[in-house]
Order: sequence, then structure tokens, then C-alpha cells
Amino acid sequence: MISVENLHKTYGHRLAATHALKGIDLEIETGEFVAIMGRSGSGKSTLLHILGLLDMPTSGSILIDQKNVLNLTEGEKARFRLEKLGYVFQEYSLLPEMTILENVYVPAVCLGSENGYRKRAAELLRIVGLGERLKHYPNEVSGGEQQRASIARALINRPKILFADEPTASLDIASAKVILELFKKLNREMGQTIVMVTHEPEDEKHVNRVIWLRDGLVDKEPKY
Amino acid sequence: MGNLKLALFLAFKSIIKGNRWALVLIILVMSLSFANLLLTPSILWGVTNTLNRQQIDTLYGNIVIDPPPTEHYLSRASLIEKKIEQIPGVTGVSAHLNSSAFIEYQWKEKDSPSDKGESGTWSVIGIDPTREIDVTTIHEHIIQGSYLDSNDRDEIVLGVEIAGGDRAQTAEFLRLQGVRIGDEVRLTDPNGVQREYRVKGIFQAKEMTQADRLAFVTKTEMASVMGRTVYGDRASRILVRTGQGVTESQLIQEIRSLGIDAEVRSWSEYGGAMGGIVSSFDVIASLIGTIGLVVAGIVMFIVIYINVINKKRQIGILRAIGIKRNVIVGSYLTQAIFYAILGIVFGGLLFGYGIQPYFELHPLDLPLGEVSLTVRALTISSAILGILTAAVLAGLIPVISITRQRIIQAIWGN
Repeated sequence: MISVENLHKTYGHRLAATHALKGIDLEIETGEFVAIMGRSGSGKSTLLHILGLLDMPTSGSILIDQKNVLNLTEGEKARFRLEKLGYVFQEYSLLPEMTILENVYVPAVCLGSENGYRKRAAELLRIVGLGERLKHYPNEVSGGEQQRASIARALINRPKILFADEPTASLDIASAKVILELFKKLNREMGQTIVMVTHEPEDEKHVNRVIWLRDGLVDKEPKY
Repeated sequence: MGNLKLALFLAFKSIIKGNRWALVLIILVMSLSFANLLLTPSILWGVTNTLNRQQIDTLYGNIVIDPPPTEHYLSRASLIEKKIEQIPGVTGVSAHLNSSAFIEYQWKEKDSPSDKGESGTWSVIGIDPTREIDVTTIHEHIIQGSYLDSNDRDEIVLGVEIAGGDRAQTAEFLRLQGVRIGDEVRLTDPNGVQREYRVKGIFQAKEMTQADRLAFVTKTEMASVMGRTVYGDRASRILVRTGQGVTESQLIQEIRSLGIDAEVRSWSEYGGAMGGIVSSFDVIASLIGTIGLVVAGIVMFIVIYINVINKKRQIGILRAIGIKRNVIVGSYLTQAIFYAILGIVFGGLLFGYGIQPYFELHPLDLPLGEVSLTVRALTISSAILGILTAAVLAGLIPVISITRQRIIQAIWGN
């Protein structure tokens, strides 16, 4: 599903250049729940942003479903993100002016009929355990609930891949556990492909596979 | 269609649930800017309007009929008056017999014939008072005594700048030294005819010092002074007053079509130096209006810019979840237009129901006269266009700039 070849990312120029990714090669199959792990500064968030088309690599290629997504125009990338990818960010990323329900269906407004996306958004919120919070605003629910709403939003357009960038980093242990259980459930019951960046060692047991990064490269023999 | 719907939805939610104080502040700035854009030019247009009105009221009426270039007088003046009176839209016609005269006051106290004493040369106009009151407003500006009657022969009405006294504005040596009602003045016509008149009234058009340097006698009296050359129903000039809403140019065409051997012109062609002042005010009004618009634009830009910058992270998140750039720009554009429309509405209400009525009740008392606001359609449309343009630019520039940033940068708030 995702095929990455010789991916490089350099920030800055010449003497001030920082090589965040130094030639990443990896494959992720449909239905996998993959964690990208590594020490701080290993390049895991940079990799996730590039895989999720939020940033551009300096060189290399990314094929998603055999499509070279780095050749897409800005408009095509936006469309691709909207239809094929879902995101859960590290910090709460809901729009404060909208209810939980509205936040979830916003990405679907461009794509579907109002009845369709409202119904699906409500259904997703029930799946993530927020069936009673549809009309609440983000500042009226807890951090864990906001993150669950973010997951529901990420799923509204039935994405092929769900990206999560340290989704539990801002949460307490109990809320973090709920989120990880939810990811597992989505992966197991719905076959959702999930790529998650995390720095929590214990998250390893929830995923199918871990891709370890070290100094901008895939670490094939991690010693953690 | 979906994109438009989403843009409107985002804008709606942002307005309804966004920061109330920011919304109030933006609309307040827009409203005050709009009212200011109307106010400043309207005061200046009010000044020019006052100057123009004064020229019409005290000197020219709306239309001026002069003899042809080869003649000094219009013949059969009363017939012309009657013909013009028949034209719909004409509310007054008055023939003038103009001359200049050497006017002396207290001449009996002179030591010798070479003693100039209190004297000077001024324009003297012969009028039919009953007709004149339908054309000019001099009769409304009598400050002492009374206006002329049709049968008056040895009485004269003087402008305050001839009579002198405390209320005159011109230098003392250019006026008589405080003529009073009942005093006598002696007029010497260019043809040498000398007559004495009792001062019946003194007027002050206030704003129009040009009019205050005129003296009026009856037309019959003036004709008798001027002698045989003008006897026989002649006039130096005929002034025509039109009703409200009558187009002067159209009326001029109608008067010309009567076949009168005369030059027919609008009052504005006689503006002279006053016309220059009016033109200067026009330029100043346009200049101040433009500056006001730029200042309003900058203020609105700053307020909206800060509002948009505060939503940088939200814009980044919207882009990250796949919302197209033009949808986000469209949403902020919608908000900017909404702010501008509310600003125009509230600013318009403030101006129409607050500022304008206030100026009508308390006009500015300037040396040139009482000035109230004159609101032109062009001023209103320019202000509306200006506010909309400034709001659109203020809304678009920051959001375009943010949506061109890397998504990650926007989300991080860099």
C-alpha cells in the first residue's frame, strides 16, 4: 500500500543544513497497524508528515496504492488527503467554533450529501464513545474525548490510511489507553490501516509492527 | 457546490461562535470608518453647496439672461419676463437695471469739493421689489430698516459693506462710516446725474460679501436716472429662479427656444473666483476622502489581520485534513464581506440617524455661512466601494499568505 524509497529530508542550507531523513526505505501493507518509533530527533514525525503529504521530502519517492503522490499538484494533494488519508494530531486539533459533530463532518461537506455525512459522523462518534457529546463544543469535553473526536473526524471520509502523530502524548494514562484500544479496534474490526508515531515503549504491544528510526534512517537492529 | 457550501459553513461558524469582542471591534471599526468616509467629504461638499446656494440666492438666481455681445441692454424686458414666466418650472423672473454710482455720505460736512469725505463707487441695481423677492433672498437679509416697495423713488437699500458699521467686514477705508436708517446718501451716476436718497434698509447676506457690496433702488428710479437711453422697458440683465428638481440646462434650452435675442447662461458660468474656491474644495474633498479611505483600510486591515493570524493553527489543520486552499480563502473572504456589509449598515445608520440630523439642527457656523452636510450619491458609492475593497484586501492578504505556508508551519503556528 505504501512504498517509500530512498526518502531524504534536509532542513536549512549548507552549513546550517539538518538532515532529518537520510534515505528511508519502507513498505506498509493494507490493514497493518504500524508504529514508527525512535528517540527524539530520529525523524519519525518528519517521516509521518511526509507520508501524510503535509510536507515535501528533499528527494525520494512515495507510492500509495501504486500512485506516485509526490507528483501531485497542491490541489490534487489536498483532494488526496481529503479522500484517502486521515489525521490525528498530537495536540487537540478540533475547531473551537464547531460542535463535536460539526468538527467530525467538516471534511465530508465537500464530498457528500448532508444527511449522509451527518449520519455517518454521528455513527462514528458513537463508535468512539462520544454518542452523548454530539452538540458539545471542544472546550466542553476532556482532552481524551477531543482526541477521540479527532479520530472520528479522521475516519469520516473512509480513509485508506489513518496517520496519528503521537496521539496520546498530551493525554493522561487512562485516556491514552482508551485511544490505543480504539485504534486496535478500528484496525481489527474495520481493517483500518494505521500508521502511528509514538515514543511510548509500551505502545509497541498494541501494534502489528514497529518501524524503528535512528538518526534519520530505518534501524533494522534496534537495541532498546 | 460542496466547496462553496463548506466555505459558507466555515464563515458562518466563525462569525457565530468566534470571539465576540473581535467581531464587535471589527464591525465598530468598519462602521466608524464608513461614517467617517461619508462625513468628511459631506462637510466639504456642504461648504461648496453653501457657496453655490449663496450665489444663486443673492447674485444670480439659477439662470442669467444677458444682452447679446453687441448690445448694452435687453429690449422689451417685461415681455421677456412674461414669456419666461410661462415656462413650467420657473418660479420667479426679475429684470435688473445695473449701473455704478459714486456714493457719498455726510457730503454736506465736506470742507471743499476736492474733499473725498466718506465716499466710494459701488454697483447700484434697479429692481422691481415685488419680482425680486421671487428670485433672490436679499429681502430676507435686512438687518436694519426695511426692503424697497415698488413705488419707492427716493429711497435706497444698502449692503452692509457699503453702509459700514460694526457688522461690516471690509476695511474701514473701503466703506462708509456707519450709515443709519433715515440718513441720506448722494449718488452720482456715470452720466453726471446726481440724486440724494434716504437709506431705507441695510442688508447683510452674511456669507456673501460680494452681495453686501451692492445697493438697490427701484427699477423705475434707476431708469429715470439713466435717462432716455434706457427708458422704454430695457434691462441690463434678467435673473430667473427655478423650482426644486428642475434641470437648469433643460430650462436654458427652453428659454433659448423662445427666440429671445440674448445670452442665456447658468449661474455657474458667473461663478468667477467663487468657482475657483468651489473647484479647490472639490479637490480637497476628494483628497481627504481618499486619505480617509486609506486610513480606514489600514485600520481594518490591522484588525482583520490580527484576527486571521490568531487562527493560523486552525487554517493549518483545515488544510491538513484536506480542505482546499480556495475553500479556506473563500471562508475568510465571506467573513470580510460580512463585516464590511454590517459596517456599512451600522455606519450608514449612525450617519443617517445621528450625524446628519445633528448637523441639520446645529449647522457649522463658518465665516462663509452656515454649513450643513451635503451627501452625494458618489460619496456614498465611493465609501461603500472603499469599505468593501479594504475589507476584502484585509481579509484576503493574510489568509492567502498563511495558506501559502507549509501546512506544518501553520499548524505549529510559526
